[in-house]
Amino acid sequence: MKKSSIIVVTLLAVALIVSPSVWAKQKLIKIGINAPLTGDIPKVGEGTKYAAQMWLEDIKAAGGLEVGGKKYPVELVIEDNESKAESAVKANTKMITEDEVLAIVGPQASKQAVPAGDVANNYKTPMISPWSTNPDTTKNRPYVFRGCFLDPFQGPVLANFITKEFGFSKAAVLYDVASDYPKGLAEFFKQAWEKIHGPGSVVAFESFTTKDADFSSQLTKIIRSGAQVLFVPQYYNEVALIVQQAHELGWNKPIVGSDSWGSAETVKLCGKDCYGLFFSTHYAAAGATGATKAFIDRYKKKYGYVPDDVAALTWDSLRIVQQAIQSCGKITGNIEKDRLCVRDALAKIKEFDGITGKMTFTEDGDPIKCAVIVKISDKGEYEFYKSVCP
Amino acid sequence: MAGSPLETTSSKGKLLAFFAQVPLLGWLFGALTAVLAEQFLGSQLVDLLGLPKIPVLFGCMIVLKKPLLVPGTLAYVLCIYLLPLAIVARMAAPWWNKIAGYLYRLSPSVAVIVHLVLMYAILHIWSGISAYRLLTVKLTMIAVMVTLSLNVINGYMGEFSCSHPGFLALGAYTASVFTLLFFANDKIFGTALLPASLGPFLFPLALILGGLVAALGALAIAVPSFRTRGDYLAIISLAFMFIVKSMIENLEIVGGPRGLSSQPNYVNLPTVFIWTVLCVWIINNFVRSTVGKALNAVRDDEMAADAMTVNTRRTKVVAFLFAAFWAGIAGGLFAHVLRYVNPSTFGIQKLAEVLAMVYFGGLNSVYGSVVGAVSLSMLSEALRPLELFKWIIIPLLLILVMIFRPTGLIAFTEFDVKGLIRPKGKE
Repeated sequence: MKKSSIIVVTLLAVALIVSPSVWAKQKLIKIGINAPLTGDIPKVGEGTKYAAQMWLEDIKAAGGLEVGGKKYPVELVIEDNESKAESAVKANTKMITEDEVLAIVGPQASKQAVPAGDVANNYKTPMISPWSTNPDTTKNRPYVFRGCFLDPFQGPVLANFITKEFGFSKAAVLYDVASDYPKGLAEFFKQAWEKIHGPGSVVAFESFTTKDADFSSQLTKIIRSGAQVLFVPQYYNEVALIVQQAHELGWNKPIVGSDSWGSAETVKLCGKDCYGLFFSTHYAAAGATGATKAFIDRYKKKYGYVPDDVAALTWDSLRIVQQAIQSCGKITGNIEKDRLCVRDALAKIKEFDGITGKMTFTEDGDPIKCAVIVKISDKGEYEFYKSVCP
Repeated sequence: MAGSPLETTSSKGKLLAFFAQVPLLGWLFGALTAVLAEQFLGSQLVDLLGLPKIPVLFGCMIVLKKPLLVPGTLAYVLCIYLLPLAIVARMAAPWWNKIAGYLYRLSPSVAVIVHLVLMYAILHIWSGISAYRLLTVKLTMIAVMVTLSLNVINGYMGEFSCSHPGFLALGAYTASVFTLLFFANDKIFGTALLPASLGPFLFPLALILGGLVAALGALAIAVPSFRTRGDYLAIISLAFMFIVKSMIENLEIVGGPRGLSSQPNYVNLPTVFIWTVLCVWIINNFVRSTVGKALNAVRDDEMAADAMTVNTRRTKVVAFLFAAFWAGIAGGLFAHVLRYVNPSTFGIQKLAEVLAMVYFGGLNSVYGSVVGAVSLSMLSEALRPLELFKWIIIPLLLILVMIFRPTGLIAFTEFDVKGLIRPKGKE
């Protein structure tokens, strides 16, 4: 017993001497990042994390975030949501109640953003999901915003683009029935297409289930249906398989994709098969100018690859949060007051000049912004082709 | 030489013997003192030690994120938790023994209730410190229910069933549809059919309904699959899990892959606590009853059990349905804690999680299930700052347990409530 009590006393003494000097209390601005660092889509999490770290570097280089003429140090709280709904809820609760973050950026995928948004709204903490396109994420939630356009906008954009560009009237769709985003977008596309070309103009509406790797039966049906174009609103890992198998089965007509193609991995996995294909997205990396180019060059230099749309949207979301905090005027230190102030400032943002285009927030927390049609060049780069505005 | 193997074992034994005389009542009062100390002295101590905030999960997160704060966190845990626990529990052990003995003689059921009330008080005060703790406690208790119900099949019945996420999904969706349909205004089912004030009272009904639907689903597996044994049941039950998942994905009426959200907020701490206690109590009684013994007999040798007049088919079906029922209830609670369900939650990942808890804790043991569920849930929260490395450490731990204790940490132990609450030491 004696020995252990000596250890206890020493430990206490050390603790008392060391700790307070390390943690002098000061007003600190904390921003939470809720990202899928592990799980199904780790590349998305990585892009989020890297973009956030780049933003933090800028702030640190400027000596802190200037609010009302005073500079405050900024800290990022990066939490892993394991690409699971329950974990995203836990991560948000932890960041809000434990770390006392001023605002949250993330989660990216809708299946985490919808439940996590509920938590943020309940605790009255502003949250921006950079990438979630599901309408439910922000609906009736004054504290939740998003950094991208919605599926009901993207579907018609693509339908119009294909009609105008190629003059086709028969389309086929292949999508994952078990995943929220592809299924929603496939349906919005079908609606828009049939509105233009009449009922029955989507000649094949084929589905599969997450983690399927063989699409030959669906693709054979699509080829037989006489469709002129194939729409595939899938994530990068499935795009490569679908495009390659379609070409093997003799499909030589265009394949069009959605913003989920925007990852750097798409071309890496797909190779030459994807060259010359189109998809709609938030920004185009190749041929970018101004601030967008500066961001891409810096990211590439630092992490070795061209940033995808998730990174760009995360960057924009963080800058929006930054602008909202700055336009707040002052940090009172009362976290509830500050959060409310940031929320109000976010809702008032007009014509924000982001690297993914100009944004103005609506009452629901959704931005009005343009979509970009990208062509995958012969070098595998994402080239700007056209901009479509609402 | 100090610290030779012999000496350490004997000093460890001494330490164990030193604390062995403390009854459960003593430990509970010790824990109560600790959480009260945290509530009233926690923030002052945190300021004194220079910590940013009260450590949520015994300081694991702080330690992993900021190694400089290790001494402060250790001192905090020592002052708030370990010292009160040791002092109150050990120093006053004779008194606790007297009180425990008195309660026990009065009536064992009164003693049990006193223990449960104390346990609830501890959890209530402890989770009152932060909402994050509260959420973790709720999800941990739900994990206990799920693990325990799976242990009935995989441990007591000795079959390998993979359908638990399916039962959870059935319970979660049934309960969610019930509450959304009757008590909430939402976009899928429109306005509420009944006044919202009735909701909390009818919520148990929603849960039980969820449990019954899950049991009905279990019947669908039980009828064809109990003609077979072993691997075949594993495959059929795995198929069932996928069927449930794709069925919900294709049912537009319950939101398809987008899932259901904005369930009413009915599940507070007492609700989860009461259901968990009920679950542990009923399952414990079930496995210790004649049906439970018959179940063990079927596991060890079905032919012999049949010869000994055990109705093996009926026993297996009853146990399977019973386990599914509790999984359904846990699913309903889960959906209302998160206030969101989607089909992809109930996939292979969930299955792996639950199976890990069962096998980590120990087969054929109520103790084991509680230990497995609590330790793995807490561990996966506490190691959160490690991100990717968490998924190396936890599986590694599982492998180690499988090597050194192939049936799990606390396997094949009876959960004897009376033995637990009895005063310790010399009578």
